[in-house]
Parts: sequence; structure tokens; C-alpha cells
Amino acid sequence: MKKFFLDARELAHPEPLRISLEYLKEMTEDDYFYMLNVRKPIPLLELAKGKGYTLFSHEDKNKNWHIIISKNPQHNLEELLDV
Amino acid sequence: MFNQGGLSLDQAPPISVVLRFFVTASIFGILLGLFLLSQSLNITTLSSYSTQIIAVHTLSLGVMASFMLGALFQMLPVLAGVVIKTPTIKAMMVHGLLSVGVFVQLFAFGISSNSLLFFLASAYLGSALFYAIYLMLKELLKIKTHSSSSKGIIFALLSLIFTVIFGIYLLLTLGGFTNGVDFTQIKEIHYSFALFGWVSLLIVSVSFQVVEMFYVTPSYPTNMSRYLTLTILGLLIFKTILTILDYSTNLLTATIAMLFLVYATVTINRLTQRKRPTADATVWFWLFGMALFILSMTIVVIGSFLTIDSTLQHLSYIAFIGFALSIVFAMVYKIVPFLTWFHLSNQGYMEAPMMHDVIHPKKAKIHFYIHFVTIVIWLLTTDITWLGSLLLTISFGWLFYNLIFAIRKYIYTQKHCEKIEWGV
Repeated sequence: MKKFFLDARELAHPEPLRISLEYLKEMTEDDYFYMLNVRKPIPLLELAKGKGYTLFSHEDKNKNWHIIISKNPQHNLEELLDV
Repeated sequence: MFNQGGLSLDQAPPISVVLRFFVTASIFGILLGLFLLSQSLNITTLSSYSTQIIAVHTLSLGVMASFMLGALFQMLPVLAGVVIKTPTIKAMMVHGLLSVGVFVQLFAFGISSNSLLFFLASAYLGSALFYAIYLMLKELLKIKTHSSSSKGIIFALLSLIFTVIFGIYLLLTLGGFTNGVDFTQIKEIHYSFALFGWVSLLIVSVSFQVVEMFYVTPSYPTNMSRYLTLTILGLLIFKTILTILDYSTNLLTATIAMLFLVYATVTINRLTQRKRPTADATVWFWLFGMALFILSMTIVVIGSFLTIDSTLQHLSYIAFIGFALSIVFAMVYKIVPFLTWFHLSNQGYMEAPMMHDVIHPKKAKIHFYIHFVTIVIWLLTTDITWLGSLLLTISFGWLFYNLIFAIRKYIYTQKHCEKIEWGV
């Protein structure tokens, strides 16, 4: 299971969205995408949802958002959470 | 750039909606430059009053309103999470009425005895602007939890309502349809709401979200983002009442200007604390714009307490125009490359041009240099000169070229590049 990781906390708009879309297009059914961001990336989530991906998002106590996206609906994304 | 409360870029309007407004604004800018050039070279010989009023309204309606309404159609879904349904046809109506209205109004100002033109101008412009305000306010007022930006945009649109109402009264007076009671006071109120309310409040509101997002800066102070726009709208309404009652409003004007001074200083401070400082023309536009805002508002404060000569007054107006244009250009150079890339990428074009291929950062830098020299020349001369007018024409011409280049890239990609379906 390959992890595509992006720490977007210090990236200016629209870099996080651009890189995320590249990863999403590249991923296979076995892979997953993990993103850290200072805000919930609603556009990315909506876009991924619209394209049929499975999503999980979580805000940790430091106000960082953990976003996990996979092509495979069988993946338990919550288990992949790294906080 | 994005609201936390729920939005989808899929719900954003087609790229044609925003580009239509931006291209039109650039064309009006070019026409403005050519008009001022012809005046400075005595090719046209309109009176000083007609020249001023034509220039001011070409700039405020043809250029600024086109840019700002186009940007709002695009950004409301992403800034405030609201969606205007069937945006293409609605934006086309606003765009058409506004463009025709601006031309009719300019002819009315040029041929000042024609009552019908004044009536038609107020009808076209009133329809365009009230319809746009209605479309946007209707959706914005449905929001349950407002961000500082969405709240501020509402106040800016309310200011636009006042601007339009008083503007129509002025047009009808010039056309001989009303007797023009309190014409001077109404004109003062019209300008106050247009400049302090509509233009400045909109820029302030949008900046609360985009400065942090685009440039990875610390947030604005909470009290500022929460209360500034409401306070200024309140002061503008209070100023209107005092103006109508014929009381002095100098203290209120100075207070509004001082609040803007604080805002501009904080914005510069935030921009200098960028986590990843890079040489980006859009940051330069923001910094230059804020410096000009400080200059303009400082003169307004001084003018509220002391008698200042017309040169200093012109300096304040030019600095304000420079401020507004700088921020608009900064936004255009962020919005257009992003939208072009995003729409193509989302449509599945694997070879969609990257943002720097749509409008290369070097092109934006060239525009910044042209714009900088243009404003400096205008500030130094504080009058209509052939050089300042020529530079203004070149500035908008360069923007027009960049926009057309982006549109051609978009069309080329759609016609010639391979499209794939992506997703699950």
C-alpha cells in the first residue's frame, strides 16, 4: 500500500490543490493519499468526492487537518490516521 | 482562497463568465487611456468637467465594476460558499447591460444636453447593478455562519446599493428629470459610498481571506477582520445623515481614513511576514497598492483638518486609483492562470497548461513595472499628460494581451489535446 504524502501547511494556494490532483490521478486502487493542511481543503474534498474517491478528514488538537483519500472504498481510512 | 463552510469548485461558474468581464474591463481601460491621450494632445476638446467625469466613470464602472463583478461571480462560491444558479446567462445579462450602460453614460456626459441619454444610462446601469446586487445578496444572506469575508462582501454590496441610488439621482438631475435638490451633498455621498464603501470594503473583505491563503501570512487581527467592515459601513451611513442635514463630516471622514490607514499598515505587515517569501509580481501589486492606499488616506486625513490645495487633492485621487488598480491586477494574475489550469485539468486534459504557462510570472512582472511607472508619472504630474495617458493605455493593453493569450491557450488545449476520464 503506497502512501502519497503532502504536507501543505506552508504551501500557498493553489499549490496544495495542484499537487493533490496530480497524486490522485497517479494513484492506483492500492494506494492512498495523505495530506496535512492548516485548513480543511473543501474544494479538494468536493472534487475527490465528485470523482468517486473515498475520503476521511480529521482535525487534530493543533488545528491541523489530516486528509486521507483513496480510490478503494474497502480501505478503512480512519485506521491510516497518523496523529 | 476557500471558505471553510462548504463549497465546490465544480459549482464555480464556467471560465467564460469571469473572463468576459475581465476582457471588457481591459478594453475599457485601453479606451480610457486613448481618450485621455486624445485630450492631452488636444485631438478632442471636451471641457475639463466633462473630461474628468468621463474618465472617472470609465474607470469606476467600465474598468473597476467589470473587474469586481466578474471576480465576485467567480469567487462567491469559493470565498463564501454560495452558488449563483445558471451563472452564465445571468452574468451575460449583467455584463451586457453594464457595458451598454457605460457607453450610453459616457456619451451623455460628452453631449450634456441630451436628456434621453441620461435617462437610458440610469436605466441600463441601474438594471445591471441592481440585478447583480440582487443575485449576490440573495445568496449571501442565506449563509448561516458568516466569515469575515462573506460579511464584508455584504457590506460592500450594500454600499453599492447606496452608490447606485444616489448615482441614478445625479444622472436624472443632469438629464433635467429632477430639480437637483442637494446635488452637491448627494454627489459627495455618492462618491463616499463608491470609494470608501464599494471599492475599499470589497478589497478589505476579500483580503481577509486571500492574503493569508495566497501568500501564507499570519491572519489579520481578529478584531479587525470581525469589526472593520461593519464599522466603516456604519460610519458611512452616519456621514450620509450628517451630510444631508448639512453638518460637518470632516471628523467622520478622517476616522474612516484612519481606519483604512491601520488596515493598510497591517496588510503590509502581514505580507512582509510571508512564510515563503518569493519574488511574485502579485505580492508587489499588493504592497504597492497598500502603500498608495496609505498615501491617499493620509491626504484625506490631512484634508479633513486643514485646507489643502487642488494638487494634493489630485494626488490623493490618483493614489486611490493606483491602489484599487494594483489590487485588481494582483487578483487577475492569480485568478486567470488558476482558473484556466483548474478547468482544463478538471475536464481531464492531461496536457493542460500549468499556471505559469497560462500567464508566465515574467509577464505579470512586466505589467507591474508598467503599472508602477504609470502611477508614479501620474503622481508626479497630477494632471492629464500624454505620457501618463500613453502608459495607462499600454498597461491595460498588456493586460488585454495576457488575457487573450490565456483564452487562446484554453481553447487550443480543448481543441488539440487528449482528454482522459479520471477518478474511480
